[in-house]
Amino acid sequence: METINLLMQGFAVALTPESIMFAIIGSILGTLIGALPGLGPANGVAILIPLAFSLGLSPTSSLILLTSVYAGAMYGGRISSILLNIPGDEPAMMTCLDGYPMALKGKAAEALAISAIASFIGSLIATIGLVILAPILAKFALKFGPAEYFALFALAFATLGGITGKNQFKTLMAAALGLMIASVGIDISSGVQRYTFNTLELFEGVDFIIAIVGLFAISELLFFIEKHAGDGMKKVAVNRLKLTMKDVIKVLPSSIRGALLGFVAGVLPGAGASLGSFVSYTLEKKIVGANGEFGKGDPRGVAAPEAGNNGAASGALVPMLTLGVPGSGTTAVLLAMLISLNVTPGPMLFQQNADLVWGVIAALFVGNLVLLLLNIPMVGIFVKLLSIPPKYLMPIVTLVASVGIYSVSHSALDLYFMVAFGVVGYILRKVDIPLVPVILGMLLGPEMEKSLRHALVLSDGDWGALFNSGLSIGLWVVAILGLVLPMIIGPIVRSKMKQAKTGD
Amino acid sequence: MRLNDRVFGMLMLILAFGYGWEATQFPEPFGGGESVGPETFPIILSFLLGISAVYLLLKPDPDEAWPASKMLLELSAVALAILVFAWAIEPLGFIPAAIMIVSYLCWRMGAKPKNSLLTGTISSVVMFLIFNNVLELALPLGLLEF
Repeated sequence: METINLLMQGFAVALTPESIMFAIIGSILGTLIGALPGLGPANGVAILIPLAFSLGLSPTSSLILLTSVYAGAMYGGRISSILLNIPGDEPAMMTCLDGYPMALKGKAAEALAISAIASFIGSLIATIGLVILAPILAKFALKFGPAEYFALFALAFATLGGITGKNQFKTLMAAALGLMIASVGIDISSGVQRYTFNTLELFEGVDFIIAIVGLFAISELLFFIEKHAGDGMKKVAVNRLKLTMKDVIKVLPSSIRGALLGFVAGVLPGAGASLGSFVSYTLEKKIVGANGEFGKGDPRGVAAPEAGNNGAASGALVPMLTLGVPGSGTTAVLLAMLISLNVTPGPMLFQQNADLVWGVIAALFVGNLVLLLLNIPMVGIFVKLLSIPPKYLMPIVTLVASVGIYSVSHSALDLYFMVAFGVVGYILRKVDIPLVPVILGMLLGPEMEKSLRHALVLSDGDWGALFNSGLSIGLWVVAILGLVLPMIIGPIVRSKMKQAKTGD
Repeated sequence: MRLNDRVFGMLMLILAFGYGWEATQFPEPFGGGESVGPETFPIILSFLLGISAVYLLLKPDPDEAWPASKMLLELSAVALAILVFAWAIEPLGFIPAAIMIVSYLCWRMGAKPKNSLLTGTISSVVMFLIFNNVLELALPLGLLEF
């Protein structure tokens, strides 16, 4: 009952004209960001953070804006999957399998509409799941002491590579680099300067927003130029929509199953949206069996992974909001925004900033409805924008990103840092070091060190204190499993995904 | 070839040593040392980085190809151009600097010079107007001030 009351208060926040306006703007921007190949949700949200920041939006407004962008990007990813056969982001990969064949058969409009409905169902069910699960998890997390938090952070890094991660040591290396960058600056608890080399600009540490924009946006620009990808791809034409109620009802069970699976995959550490959409698709293929035309343009093959991917996106918000530990790149970027707005995620968030959390959750409901309403009639406009070649778009995106960074502090030095991070990001991607753990390390570094210190000060320097409670031992076990399992199961899952992609 | 990971692993190993050694050189905090000081966490990190660097040295993955040296030059020019843009915002003003960078990037990504210049000019002026008049974030006018 209490939850419903809080949610109603949340709706009171989310239904003010201002909030609805931000939800609409965010949804449109998000869909665009998701639809453009190469931009991606994490990247898009990162570019918008400094803008939201320098506009002086209130925490609630900026969060509503950026969660709508996040939800919108998940919707948008499917547009390029269906029309170009190129996923806008990784989880949208499975949508290509049946979406593109449908488009080739002259049913692009139906595929887009069905995927929009499935996305809506996926997000809706997962947001309901979030409403139920988040307060319970937050209450449980109040039992966590510093030792448990330290173990939890270790778990977050260990599972970040995911079941499908290729090289666990590269994930670890990336995490170490991020944590090391976070240690630059004046140490909060002792006042000692660390790695500042007496440079005034480094005393406060490295601003992670600059790092995120540089690592993602600038390195992406460099990759575009290297690959001569300026001209964009050929896309399939969109027909007139002929969708009956019967078609919608036919994909409903697939969407609901996909949504539930996706939500679970989103909440679990290390699974994430890619696995959510993959599992939803394969399960659906098994259930429908020989009656389906999977891989050849079955609408259910569009609905299931889309629902799964959107379900996972909302599910991923559960650990991010309740524990302060994000499970994916985009939620990591959302966490970056929370921290820069001085909102500390974690169990206390639900007690201290209840109106903010519930406002955002309610805004997710509103945003999803807006997205559904936007996506069916307006899909033509998004498709037109997709045909702007990257050679015009990427330079403008770069300009927007730089202006965002510049307007926060009006200093050219921040932009120099941004370029430096861009070059570093390019090199890291060339040697196949993932960027998300670097970002997460920068974000979680200070908290992780703080919990280590608290735990050790409480135990008077006894390192055994880190493994003292059943809970922390459990977390360590999961962390180690998360690190070791992908080395064993990873190759199997990856080859299956590849098989599904090439068509078995 | 598996050179990428070997070279990168070597560099990271050096970084791990340097970072860890620097941590041991931190001055003792005011009021005496505690069981965990400012150096504890960095030392753990240097081990973490060191171990994963050694792994890369021993079991490197296959290389992703580096671009030809001509392309590397091109990419360096792009990075340099953004740096010049950053420097130019204040002395030259936002609009000229932005026209320069957007046109240059469009051109290098394969657009025709005329179209590049057009995209650069329109996007820069629109962005300036939006920021200054709608969002009320002042961007420097620079040369255009008079």
